[in-house]
Amino acid sequence: MKTNTWGVGLVWVAALALAWEWGAHILAVDLHDPMAASKLPYLHSVVSTLITNAGPLADAAGVTFAQAATGFVLGALIGYVLAVLMSVSRTVERIAFPYLIISQMIPVLGLAPIIFNLVRDMNASRILIAAYITFFPVAANTLSGFRSVDREKRQLLDSYAAGLPTVYFKLMIPFSVPHLFAGLKIAAPLSVTASILVDMLGSKDGIGVKLLYALYGGNMDIFWASVVTSALMGMVSYLVVLLAEKIVVPWEDLGNLGGAR
Amino acid sequence: MMEKLKTVLWPLGFGVAFLTVWQLGWFHALLDLAPFQLPVPLEIVDTLMAKLPKAMNDCGVTVSGALAGMVLGSTIGFLVAVVATMFPKWGYGGLIVISAINAIPIVALSPIMNRWFATGMEQKIGVVTVVTMAAMAINAYRGLNDLRPFTLDLMKSYAAPGPTVFFHLRLPNALPGVFTALKINITTAMIAAIVSEYFAASTSGLGFGIKDNLRKAEMATGWAYITIASVAGVLLFLIIAFIERKALKWHASQRSEH
Repeated sequence: MKTNTWGVGLVWVAALALAWEWGAHILAVDLHDPMAASKLPYLHSVVSTLITNAGPLADAAGVTFAQAATGFVLGALIGYVLAVLMSVSRTVERIAFPYLIISQMIPVLGLAPIIFNLVRDMNASRILIAAYITFFPVAANTLSGFRSVDREKRQLLDSYAAGLPTVYFKLMIPFSVPHLFAGLKIAAPLSVTASILVDMLGSKDGIGVKLLYALYGGNMDIFWASVVTSALMGMVSYLVVLLAEKIVVPWEDLGNLGGAR
Repeated sequence: MMEKLKTVLWPLGFGVAFLTVWQLGWFHALLDLAPFQLPVPLEIVDTLMAKLPKAMNDCGVTVSGALAGMVLGSTIGFLVAVVATMFPKWGYGGLIVISAINAIPIVALSPIMNRWFATGMEQKIGVVTVVTMAAMAINAYRGLNDLRPFTLDLMKSYAAPGPTVFFHLRLPNALPGVFTALKINITTAMIAAIVSEYFAASTSGLGFGIKDNLRKAEMATGWAYITIASVAGVLLFLIIAFIERKALKWHASQRSEH
């Protein structure tokens, strides 16, 4: 069964690669599209650009990724603390919960240029925006984790006259970890996107800058290689969280794919 | 009654206090900002009122692009889920491919769509379509396949043909997942539409308005546009939540009859 799944995956990858090459061929040779190299370049030329420019691309990606990761950790921490406070205090929950819900309906990334304009420091705003965007899904999901703790378990601990710290460390926090990871999985690719967006709004380095310069300079191979790199960054961030989840909560079912809430 | 009142008054009081502190310029003092860098709420409201017709026009452009893209992307995602259900062995790969495409950041997608499409509207719809496929495909697939135990066996014992199983068992079962995906997608669609406008060649839409006004250092207008974008986002979300409640009420009552 395992090898069978791998076989299917391999066929899919091969088919997609073929479709890409074929599509690029049709565009360039059959349709004589003068923009073919920018619309859809040959896969093999993108891959070879990726390999020959691996060094600079990895450097630029590293800058962006590091800021995204810092902001991600910061936002996750603050979001988690807020979730704990909300589950401890009814008043805090009353104040913050409506804003938490509304925040999931508004286009948060739209705020990126405004924050960038306020802070004016590219590293600080990359971290700030990544943190800001991580904060909401983490807080919302962790809170729903705290809420779904069985009442009987809570009552059992209460009957032992367990103090608040004991209740949290023995029951609430372990119970909420899978929910925390659900939030982290939503937030990780978002924080990378946010970081790249700040790159493109006027930073000096980072993968977004590389992408933009290649675009304006008409260097389509570098442009596509940067696009592939940024897509890989999004996937890597997700996989890192998935790996962490596997280590921290190995008993949870990890059968779900990305993007689902 | 007292409890209900508290649930409303606490967040409301906090919001008012926040806006007052902002209006009085305490944030400026705290963060060492000049008044032109961070406009105060009343100034934003004034600007909003003054530029309302133009802003509503821009809002319409963005929302129509977001909605068109969302409908297109969700339809494609749903079809992929259906195909993956019909051909479990090979179709599941399609879901993984769609999830991988979903990892491409919006900011990288926008320039690609700029190349592919001539107008800003087409480009916007293109970006939104791509970013809304995955959530629908995954949630619909889950609903189409996580059937309650023995329901499929029951259908088999009736010798129900494939279409019957699909329309009477799988499709109703997928409905909650479809609405979950739509609620995720409406927010994603608005974000994608606005961000794609940051990079598009077009000169309309909320994203263009935000970027252009900040470039011209008209901060209050930028904030007014953000406010409109947020209100539009909340309204669209509430509309979908309303439809969901109507549709699932039917669904739940159907279920309780059995």
